[in-house]
Formats: sequence, structure tokens, C-alpha cells
Amino acid sequence: MIRFEDVTFSYDGADRPTLDHVDLVVGEGELCVVVGPTGSGKTTLLRAVNGLVPHFTGGRLSGEVLVDGRSTREFPPRELADVVGMVGQNPAASFVTDVVEDELAYTMENLGLDPAVMRRRVEDALDLLGLHDLRYRPLGTLSGGQQQRVAIGAVLTASPRVLVLDEPTSALDPAAAEEVLASLTRLVHDLGLTVLLAEHRLERVLPFADSVVLVPGGGGRLNVGPAAEVMVDAPVAPPLVELGRLAGWDPLPLSVRDARRLVSPLRDRLVGAVPPRTVPVPDGPAVARLDRVTVRFGDVTALDGCDLEFRAGEVVAVMGRNGSGKSTLLGQLAGVRGPTSGRVQVAGQDPTGLSPRDLVARVGLVPQDAGLLLYGDSVAAECRGADHDTGLDAGTTAAVLERILPGLPADRHPRDLSEGQRLALALAVVLAPAPPLLLLDEPTRGLDYPAKARLVTLLGDLAAAGHAVVMATHDVELVARVATRGVVLAEGEVVADGPARDVVCQSPVFAPQVAKVLAPDPWLTVDEVRTALEVGAVRG
Amino acid sequence: MVERGSSRAVVRLRSRSSVLLLVTSIVGLVGFSWPLFLHGSSSVAQAHSADAPWIFIAVLPLLLAVVLSALAEGSLDAKAIALLGILAACGAALRIPSPGVAGFEPVFFLLIPAGRVMGRGFGFVLGVLTLAVSALITGGMGPWLPFQMFGAGWLGFGAGCLPPTKGRAEVWLLAGYAAVACLLYGTLLNLYFWPFGAGTDTSFSFVPGAGMLHNLHSFVLFDLTTSLGFDIPRALTNAALVLLLGRPVLAALRRASRRAAFGAPVVLEPVGIPGAPPPAGPDAG
Repeated sequence: MIRFEDVTFSYDGADRPTLDHVDLVVGEGELCVVVGPTGSGKTTLLRAVNGLVPHFTGGRLSGEVLVDGRSTREFPPRELADVVGMVGQNPAASFVTDVVEDELAYTMENLGLDPAVMRRRVEDALDLLGLHDLRYRPLGTLSGGQQQRVAIGAVLTASPRVLVLDEPTSALDPAAAEEVLASLTRLVHDLGLTVLLAEHRLERVLPFADSVVLVPGGGGRLNVGPAAEVMVDAPVAPPLVELGRLAGWDPLPLSVRDARRLVSPLRDRLVGAVPPRTVPVPDGPAVARLDRVTVRFGDVTALDGCDLEFRAGEVVAVMGRNGSGKSTLLGQLAGVRGPTSGRVQVAGQDPTGLSPRDLVARVGLVPQDAGLLLYGDSVAAECRGADHDTGLDAGTTAAVLERILPGLPADRHPRDLSEGQRLALALAVVLAPAPPLLLLDEPTRGLDYPAKARLVTLLGDLAAAGHAVVMATHDVELVARVATRGVVLAEGEVVADGPARDVVCQSPVFAPQVAKVLAPDPWLTVDEVRTALEVGAVRG
Repeated sequence: MVERGSSRAVVRLRSRSSVLLLVTSIVGLVGFSWPLFLHGSSSVAQAHSADAPWIFIAVLPLLLAVVLSALAEGSLDAKAIALLGILAACGAALRIPSPGVAGFEPVFFLLIPAGRVMGRGFGFVLGVLTLAVSALITGGMGPWLPFQMFGAGWLGFGAGCLPPTKGRAEVWLLAGYAAVACLLYGTLLNLYFWPFGAGTDTSFSFVPGAGMLHNLHSFVLFDLTTSLGFDIPRALTNAALVLLLGRPVLAALRRASRRAAFGAPVVLEPVGIPGAPPPAGPDAG
């Protein structure tokens, strides 16, 4: 269906090609996942499929990309629109109309289809993506996951045979991401669409992938093949795959179910090894506390009588479903608004009463949409602005940024960054003044595995240096690796509060992959298992 | 015609469209200034002073259409059309809150940075389109429209011809240009309006065939008395807006231009698959 024949492509003015002698075949009805580190050329590869590369971007292309027999050399993107549908990271950026139904029809309007056909296809798209309840809703009122499903639906109405998605879940929280990925797998199975998908959340997609394309970046050769083979030495891998590599499982398991069926030898090797005991909750000084805090928005009670205390050196993961009060809790600590009743104290003071400058020195909040913090016109200007606003030495923020994400081009406009890069920049801006209390709302959105690993190290270092970190997250792997304490919220109430290992292992919803595979033993991460095996090997 | 290397032209002016633009502009200029050039007491002048404006009103839109289509044929791709559409809509929207009270008419404020960043060809087309679109939405359609379109087109074209400067100097240059260009624009439009606007028997009326000097004198009086009170505040408003908002607007436009990769050439190296026939291309279009 998609065939790359010796394709080499370089952007105008670039000194080396982004795609270098790429040969790739994706068959009809295949779900092909493109993996690779950020900036490795995944997007370029995807955009070459519908001819945006090179017709939109400019640049030098040799070789040939064929889609359904049409060459992108001869057919510009507009003449491939009926074969290839393309969906990007941020659904809101692609919307043209205001209402779900109109948005679905807009693509067909451009293709000049008959109204009767349009009507029927809109109905089909509504059913396929489960959007029928939302058909008259304004797009702006939809959740991120719903918006992304509408964007996919709008592409589907052209009845393309190939769907190309560039990190469709990067801008979404994990719950919304699952919703979108579930819709996608359904499309593959029910309609037999050929799907080419770049994605960070591999643990969700790999079980369904027929093939994987590994883009190593730096001009290296592409590695193409069945998922279980390619993932053996991929630089980006979900915990399940890492566990499989560690245990030497062949073929590599791609779902928890596969792994459970292979696990007994590993369990035998781990007999006698004890998972690290629950990290004792640090007894540093209290940095912030909430006393019977209740927050109401109209009829909605977002927080209901919460008593919590956060100590220096803690990394607290606040978990719970969407709307359970996680973001409200962070907002209270950051002094965004005062409580309806009860008392919030940060460093012994009411955060709503602090001047902005004092507040920034005590509490740092990275919101879900990290772009909200960024208003400079380049990365460098943003860093300089942050140094200036908080009275730091010039270069402090840039140095922090270099630690989180090395090599971010300083002249890039913040809006031209990827979600993950933007988050790294926002983190640097907030972390630079080293506030004793750091609040993160869904900090791993759009981050790839290496970036996540760097974030984990950074948060660990901050906690060790005596900062209190509170993060609202759905990312259980992050919780497993860095959190010392877990707090679960439901309906605005604290329903669980304790050491992260206990909180996470007691609930199948919050259990990370490793814990699911090795249950009932409370192992959380691949690193723990590796250490235990090494100790065991030495002992044996 | 060679475009300056520093800025990548979004609408490329090839030799054919350049000549067309030049000829059309000359005709347009005549359309504005014919009253000054009719001299002697020739019967032709007497006879046609009433219907001459209407000929230009009929001919100018046709000429504009010719120029636009020539430009489009040359190099307007989907990206340039999208940008033109957005900027023309923004420009037109700027005209809605500007009933012209005390000269607050910021419509040129966007046009000047756009012409500067995207080049003179784009500036001309954008000027023409902005005025056309804004007339549609403000109900300002009338015989004056083609003259306004021409004026704004020249204004955008001129912005694209300014010498390269950077930083603060650039903003001051654009602000100065905005003030001068707005005054010229106002004067030109008065010139079109003057033969009927001033009546026939005042001291600053157009007198067909009375000679250039006399008529020029009358026109300057007309211009001073009727509209400088409007044109000067408009020139100052636009210049002030450029000074205030020029930097961010220029930065936003430059970023759009960079992101859209205007002028980045598409090079398709030939494929040599031995023995395989070249794939069939689409029919023209």
C-alpha cells in the first residue's frame, strides 16, 4: 500500500539528509508503528507519505514514494487527499469549523462530493468513532480525546485507504490517549485501513502492531520488521519489552498477557529475592499543608475536606480519574485561588496572599498545557526572561534546560517546539529559581522514553536536595520509578494515602506493567528486578 | 526582475507579470490624475469631463483582474493563497471598527509589515484583496472601490521595495513609510473624487480644460480644506501602530514565512529504474 523505494530527502539548506536511502513497504491493512527518539525524522517520514514532503516543505527528494500506486513525485498532496488521511499532534490546530458535524463534512466539501454521499459518510464517521452523542457540540467544549477522535473522523470521511498519524496522543492525558488508541485499533480491525502511526505510548500500541519501523535518527538505517523482532534492540522501549530483554524471552512479549505466560522461570529466579522495602516516607520539615480544604465551583465540589501535608524530600504522586480534583489540589497549593473553606499553607503562609515574586520563589507550577508559561519569541529569550523575572544569574535557566533536554536549538520559537520539548522548556523556567515546592500537572505528556528517564533522574535529584515534588499524573510507570508516596483522589476526597509501592500495587488500575506481570510480588520497575537478579547471581 | 536575496518573495514577479503590473499601474495613475492633464479648451475635454471617471471605473477592475490572474498563474501556491486569505481577512476585520472617526483607520497597519516581509508582489495583491474584502463586509462597494484597491496595492508594493534594515531602524523606517504612504493614498483618492466632489462653481472646483497649474492649485486647496484633517490623523495612527506593534507583527509574519518554507525549492531528482516505464502522471492540473 505504501512503498518507499530508495528514498533520500534533505531539507533546503540542511547539510545532511533527514531520510537516507529509505526502503519501506507497508502492506494493505497493516498497522505499522514508527518509533524513534524525538527529532529522528519520524515526522519527515510520515509527511513523505502524502507528499507534504517535499511539495509543502521544499527540499531535495530522490527515489520514489508510492501510495496505492500513485507516486508523490507526480501527485501533489491535494491529489492524494482521497487516498491518504493525515492527523497531527494537536487536533485543535486542524479544526476549521465550530461544530462536530460541520468539521466532519468539511473535508468532503473540499473534495466536492455529492451532498447525499456526504450525509451518509458523516453518519458513518459518527458511528465508527462513537461520536454520535457529540454531533451538535461546539468543538471547543470537547475534551482532548474527543477532539482528536473528531479530527480522525474528519479525515475518515474522505474514505482514505491509508491513515497517517503523527503522535496523535502526545497532547493528550493518558485517559484520553487510551480512548483515541482504542478507536484506532478498532478502525484497523473493522475497516482494514492501512495505518502508519508515530507514537510514544508504545505500551498501548505494540500489542496491536503488525510491524514496527525504527527510525534511529542521525542518518542511521531504518530497521523494519515484526514488532517482536525490531523491539529487541530498539533504543526506545516500554518497561514490558525491557523486562523481556532482561529475562531473555523469545519472542519478546508485547502485552501483559503474553508476558504472564512466560513469567514462571523468571519468578523462580527471583525466589528468595526481596523487593526493596517500601521507601520510608522522609520526615523532613513540612513544606505545605491543607487543613480540611473544600473547594466548590458552583454545584461541583472539586475538593471535599482534604487534609494533606507535604514534606521536604518527598515525591508525591496524586492519582485519580479525570475530574477527581487533582488539578484543583495543585491550584490550591499554587495559590491560583483560595479554598471555599479550610486553610492552605505554603511555607507557613497563605499562597493567595503572596506577591507574585515571593510566590514564584516558594512554589513552582508546571500546568498541563506547558505552552501557557511560554511567551518569549525564542528559547533563548524565554530563558533570559525567566532569569530576569526571578532575579537569577544570567544563564541559570539555560543551564537547567541543558540538563533536562540537551541540545534544544536556542533560536527556535517556543510554539515550533514539539510537546515534549515545550514541556522541558517550561520545566526549566519553573525549576530555575529552585522553589521548595514543585507542582507538576501531567508532566510526561508527549515525552519519549529517554526524556522521561531524564525527568525521573531530575525529580529524584530535586527530592534528594530537599525539594517537595507533587505531581498529578496518570502515568503509572512514572509513579513506579520516582514517587515515594501515592495519594489517590476520588470525587474530591482522599481515598488512599501511603507509600507509593503499596498504593500502586494494591490497585490493578494503577499497577505498572512490571507489577502486573510479576504480581502478586510487589516489583515495580525493571531496574529493581535487574538489581535483584544481579545480587542473586553473585550470591549463587 | 530579480528579487532581493534577503527576503524570499512569496508572490514572484516574473518579467511578464512585472510588465503587466507596470502598464496597469500607469493606466491606474492616469485614472486618478486625468483632470490635471486635460488642458486647452479642446472640445474633447469639455465633452468628456463628465463621463471620463466612469470609463476608468469600468476599466480599472478589469485591469486588476488581469494582473491578479497573471500573478496567480506565475507562482501562487496553496501556501501563498492561505496566507493571502488570512491576512486579507485580518485586514478587512481591522476596517470594521474604523468608521473613519478622526482618521482612525488602521487598515494599512497590517499591509505594510506584510508587504515588507513577504515581498512587493505579495504586498500588491494583499492590498488589492484587503480593500476588496473589506468593502464586501462593510458594504463599502462603490465607484471608489477600484481606486482604493489600486491605492492599497501600491502601498503594499512600496512596503516591499523598502531598503533592507534591521531592528529598531526597520520599525522606524516602516512607521515613516506608513505616514507618508497614508498621506499619498489620501491625496490620490481625493484626486479621483475631486472632479465631482467639489461641485462646479467653488474656488477649488475642477475646471475642465483650465490648464494644469490652475487645476493643481484648485486641487491642493480642495485637498487641504476637505480631507487633510482626516488624512493626517490617519497617517499618524498608522505610523503609531507600526511603531507600537511593528516588532511582534514582523516577528509573527517572519515566523509564518519561515514555517511555510516559501521559496524553498522542491527538487525531484530523476529516478532511474532500469526497464520500468515512468509512472503515468495525472492529466494537466
